[in-house]
Amino acid sequence: MNALLPTASVPLAVSPVEVSLFAFVILTAVVTALARDVLSSIIVFGAYSLGMAALYTFYRAPDVAMTEAAISAGVTTVLLLLTIAKTSRIDHEVAFESVHWPAVGAVGLLGAAMASTLAEMPVVGDTNSPVWSNPDVTQYYLANAYAETGVENAVMSVLASYRGFDTFGEAVVVFAAGIVTMLVLRREVFA
Amino acid sequence: MSRDAPAGDDDPATENGPATENGPATENGPATENGPATENGPTAADEPTGHRGFGTEYSGHEERPHLSEVERQGTPYTESQVIMTTVKAVAPFVFTYGLFITFHGGGSPGGGFQGGAIVAAVVLMIAFAFGIESTREWLSNSVLVGLAVGGVLVFAGIGLVGLAGGGTFLDYSFLPIPEPMKYGMEGVEILGIAPIVASVLIGLFFLLAAGPADDETEVSE
Repeated sequence: MNALLPTASVPLAVSPVEVSLFAFVILTAVVTALARDVLSSIIVFGAYSLGMAALYTFYRAPDVAMTEAAISAGVTTVLLLLTIAKTSRIDHEVAFESVHWPAVGAVGLLGAAMASTLAEMPVVGDTNSPVWSNPDVTQYYLANAYAETGVENAVMSVLASYRGFDTFGEAVVVFAAGIVTMLVLRREVFA
Repeated sequence: MSRDAPAGDDDPATENGPATENGPATENGPATENGPATENGPTAADEPTGHRGFGTEYSGHEERPHLSEVERQGTPYTESQVIMTTVKAVAPFVFTYGLFITFHGGGSPGGGFQGGAIVAAVVLMIAFAFGIESTREWLSNSVLVGLAVGGVLVFAGIGLVGLAGGGTFLDYSFLPIPEPMKYGMEGVEILGIAPIVASVLIGLFFLLAAGPADDETEVSE
């Protein structure tokens, strides 16, 4: 298992895969926001989610990547398509919305404010970052998860055992989402 | 691939020209797939409104006695041989992959949530390919509701066993099974989370496809 984990502190250099994935994700995000046609927007948004899933895989979070790919790129795209299929589609002469520069300025200011904290963030994969080196949380789970729960996937041992009550709440939230959708649409059956 | 004799009827791309339209067994590959070759699952032939354009025929507020006629409201369905054939080929593998992710969550990435979502995606794929309404008739509502409710009950039940035994909620060590920690977690993932996620996602899909019920016909306010 240890071969899968980041062992030494990772140098600052970013790989070409990382750069291209980031470029893809940012490009698709901008196109999603600017596309005039809702159908185009939804399809590009699906591509964005797929890029995010690849990025999560690259950063060694396969559980999150699977969820992103299945839920966000797959099911959500289908549900959004289903929803706009019930509306009438308008033919647009231009492909993109015109850019609203005051809004861009406001978002840019917010982004700059957030980016000013980037220098304080630990490097990706840094073994000295608090989230990794913390002896009471991350290191405790990694050291004891198999001995205490008997499963090799430490993520699942956290989800189903150490934080099982949270997961129970999440499962009930999913259940409640189905019930509430029935209520909102005034239907009494799923299918 | 040449299962159907009247090949070339709908395919304008046969190389032999229009003269051989009713000829027996042209050698062109794509022409032989025009038949409704759907032996199992929801068949496209059952779909009463095939070849529907995108979002056309929105007929407004007419009365809908039951859900199977909801598509008068304009649920789009375009019959496509490419999509149907692809889904028929891919669906068993995606379904198996979803079950693998669910059952193997303890030893590899994944778990009940991801596996349940992938299993639900199989049903969504089938509905996309063969029509939502015929898939809705093929599915049983009581199965979906049973999976969702049963999942919550199993999860809560496994949690309450620990409480009943004098421990804490979700204390798996009180379960009367060998290796209670490991198999308690697997039970929660496989019998609890995966059925809830799969059935609710399928339910959301068909609920959104049906759309809201009319005020006049189904709700008296």
